[in-house]
Amino acid sequence: MARSTAEVSAVTDRDGVPDGGTATPRAPDDAEHPLEWDEQENNDLSPEERTSVSQPAEKVDDRKLVTGQAKYTADYDERFPELARAKVVRSEIPHGNVVDIDASAAKAMDGVCAVITPDDEAVPDAKYTSAGQSYPEPSPWDMRVLNEHVRYVGDPVAAVAAVDEETAEEAAAAIEIEYEEHDHVVDPEAAFSEDAPRLFGADEVDNEIVGHDYARNRMAHIEGKIGEVAAATEREDVHVHESEWSTIRQSHAQVEKHTTLAYTDEDERHVLITSTQVPNHTRRQLAHLFDVPIRDVRVKKPRVGGGFGGKQAMVVEPIALALSLAASRPVLYEATREEEFGAMRSRHPMRVRARSAVTADGTIEAIELYALSNTGAYGSHGMTVAGNVGSKPLPLYSKVPNVRFEADIVHTNTPQTGAMRGYGAPQGTLALEGHLDRVARDLGIDPIEFRRDHYMEVGDLDAIAGMMGGEGAERRIRSCGLDECIARGKEAVGWDDLEQPAAEQLHRGIGMALSAQGTGVAGDELGAAQIMMNEDGSFHLQVGGVDIGTGADTAFVQIAAEVLGCAPADVVVKTSDTDNTPFDYGAYASSTTYISGMAVKKAAEDAKERILKWGSHMLDEPVEQLDTCGSEVYSDRTGASVTLEEIGYESVYGEETREHILGKGTHSTEESPPPFAAQFVDVTVNEETGEFDVNKLVVAVDCGVAINPKMAEGQIEGANHMSYEMAVNEGITVDSEGRAEQRDYEEYSFPTATESPPIESILVETHEPTGPFGAKSVAEVPTNTVPPALSNAVREAVGVRITDMPITAEKIKRALDEP
Amino acid sequence: MKYTLTVNGERKRIEADADADVASTLRAAGYKGVKCGCDGGVCGASTVIIDGEARMACGLSMASVAGSEIETIEALGSQGDLHPIQQAFVDHLAVQCGFCIPGMIMQTKQLLAETTDPSEQEVREAIDDVVCRCTGYQKPVEAVLDAAQRLRNDSAGIEESTAMTDGGTLDSGGERRD
Ligand code: FES
Ligand code: FES
Repeated sequence: MARSTAEVSAVTDRDGVPDGGTATPRAPDDAEHPLEWDEQENNDLSPEERTSVSQPAEKVDDRKLVTGQAKYTADYDERFPELARAKVVRSEIPHGNVVDIDASAAKAMDGVCAVITPDDEAVPDAKYTSAGQSYPEPSPWDMRVLNEHVRYVGDPVAAVAAVDEETAEEAAAAIEIEYEEHDHVVDPEAAFSEDAPRLFGADEVDNEIVGHDYARNRMAHIEGKIGEVAAATEREDVHVHESEWSTIRQSHAQVEKHTTLAYTDEDERHVLITSTQVPNHTRRQLAHLFDVPIRDVRVKKPRVGGGFGGKQAMVVEPIALALSLAASRPVLYEATREEEFGAMRSRHPMRVRARSAVTADGTIEAIELYALSNTGAYGSHGMTVAGNVGSKPLPLYSKVPNVRFEADIVHTNTPQTGAMRGYGAPQGTLALEGHLDRVARDLGIDPIEFRRDHYMEVGDLDAIAGMMGGEGAERRIRSCGLDECIARGKEAVGWDDLEQPAAEQLHRGIGMALSAQGTGVAGDELGAAQIMMNEDGSFHLQVGGVDIGTGADTAFVQIAAEVLGCAPADVVVKTSDTDNTPFDYGAYASSTTYISGMAVKKAAEDAKERILKWGSHMLDEPVEQLDTCGSEVYSDRTGASVTLEEIGYESVYGEETREHILGKGTHSTEESPPPFAAQFVDVTVNEETGEFDVNKLVVAVDCGVAINPKMAEGQIEGANHMSYEMAVNEGITVDSEGRAEQRDYEEYSFPTATESPPIESILVETHEPTGPFGAKSVAEVPTNTVPPALSNAVREAVGVRITDMPITAEKIKRALDEP
Repeated sequence: MKYTLTVNGERKRIEADADADVASTLRAAGYKGVKCGCDGGVCGASTVIIDGEARMACGLSMASVAGSEIETIEALGSQGDLHPIQQAFVDHLAVQCGFCIPGMIMQTKQLLAETTDPSEQEVREAIDDVVCRCTGYQKPVEAVLDAAQRLRNDSAGIEESTAMTDGGTLDSGGERRD
């Protein structure tokens, strides 16, 4: 594993308990990261050579989605006549201990199938983390399925299963809980002190994470550096700039709520049909929690109505399984929207400080970021998200010789946070890109040229990505389309010929920001695929990879079809069922196309080898002369051909020899190449009122070769909309007791169709030799860039800079009114 | 109580309590294309057309819709024979997770029944009540505008163009590489 190096090392205090999932330091090594990648010839196809990859193709599940025939978890209810519905009773106080639970009235109600409380036999008492990450888990085991020590308004305490929703609700309401209240703390700065109310006692956490200091409510501390920042800032020829930024607690707000259906089948194996991003991790975690063998748990992912990181977590599954064990019948637990905002997961709100040392001519000698991350009541994804605040944005400026990052991750009595698209990079990108804009302005330098002098290019050995926790590792840059992203973005937004509005009080400005992400967790990913040929020349493709609405299944099909030389329609794809598909780490860290997609490519190549053998046998020509295309095996030399269907029949029903043509592939890698984004925001601000209109978002992305360009654009647009929301929405706010103040989309002020600006997405193609057909990731990088670009645009338009998100008319007005 | 309703052109007698919510009743009756993404009346996923008007089914009681004509997404095309609106969503890759899509398509259907040539702003207003977290609304808006064009062509008797501007299916394994 290469999750972290240098100053980040894990603490493990007890034998046999996995540590915080961090790695052994390694010295940078040039030879280990050759620029020339030993790429297979078939991986680098010119646009004319591609038959399936990067061609327009229908999304494979779209027809069932637009006709309402697709099945999401809740739609499976009709298959289970005995199905009970779940309702969870959650803490009403921010911090305390449950001293008594009176569930007698609930238990006595007609139609109630089970009531569970923390002491029940069906409820595991092992500690765990809800974070769905690899193993050893890099998040602390600090929570239980049902909790006696409650740490936020929303902590689950009891649960009910009943014959229908209403009965479950009534029974839940009839449960009386008596608490002994403790002091609580909501503000992260106040929490980070020995005088603050303490959330975790000495023995309340297993699998503690590096730098934990629970006496000060700190779950982790990380730092990393390259060079000597302190020395650089003391030089006489530099100017030290400092700025501070803050970000919102954003809700994933995926439209399908967390939903799970649990039952035990006729073989006494536990089955979860569940809306998850991480089937294999969930299977492992459930087995651990319920103390059953991994083989006796099956996790099946049907269609998923969006995840965005919120379902990279085992949030609802253990409750449903415990209820179903207690009730001896299948149980469906569908969270409410109110629970989504108050008790599921959200983006870690952070305060990030940026410091730089820059010479008068605009050479950056040092950059430093410090983040204070509010992880809420529990520590899921706390350390790894904070690590990314530094390890994703900072490597972009690989020419800067001295770089340092540090973060403290603290608990408060507020709802839980977790993984969310961008995973720390949006917080870091706001600080870094806002800061650089300010420095460029102070020095009177063009903000783009200032960046260009320091940003990475092909050939760079990026050590910054590996200097601290998160998902990074040292890497060689082998593809980089930043120059073109900027050029095309500038042109699309009209950077050089902006017209000012006629009205005197209106001012228009364009702001920009750059971003880099990664493609998978470097050195900590695995994807696998199998392919079977049918006698009619079609294929069944089984992949562990997880499509949560992104179109991953379609990308798998296109990759397989490209290798096999068949039509995408001839590939039937089956994914994400731990009983029937190979292992996969899951949909997170922008890994699916790159990692699982490469596994698909390898599986298809493995099958193709056998297909060509059969072609050779049937055509009586050497394998070297043969290739596949147009659903045929053909000979370069003679032009003779045999169809895949003929091969399919012959291989299965042939007279002399027979074989089921199978291919398998598994893929893991140390590589995690960065995709890049150049964001432009065009804004008009009213200098009298502070009101503003975002006229347009333009974002150009280098994601290598887009396997399905329209789908890639869709990812960019959705990510940019989410990024826009981060810039203009309050997100989830909490009251003085740490209770989420939003219960539905209206209260959350989700930007609707009329409130969302038009988004122009631009794909800049480069070739990433380590990815399948040149692909790298796309879905996260455009999540990072709107907050800084909009902040920079407002500064350009009316001269004031808003540094704490969201950017609102009131804040602009207040800044304009300042003397 | 038993309620008589016309659902997708078929007369149905559906057993439900008077205050039962229409969205869950329809779902229980097999119309799973009616989705529920909120605690009622906010996300638009449960939008169906009731007596010619697009409405969120979740906030309504069965008693209030007795005798009504209800149209759900299941009334439109089938997978092999999509309605032009559905086809436009597919061709524009306007669908990601798809959870909001039945509601969005029903809103579109009503819009295009009333306005054959809507502006982008009118399209955005028509789908304003439907929350979509995946797409940023960009491709759905393009799809609705294109669907309007297709329906106008249909009613003018113009052959639907087979070469789509965007998307389109790839139905062969391509040409040989040599
Ligand atoms: S479920 Fe009906 S509008 Fe959300
Ligand atoms: S496509 Fe996922 S919510 Fe709209």
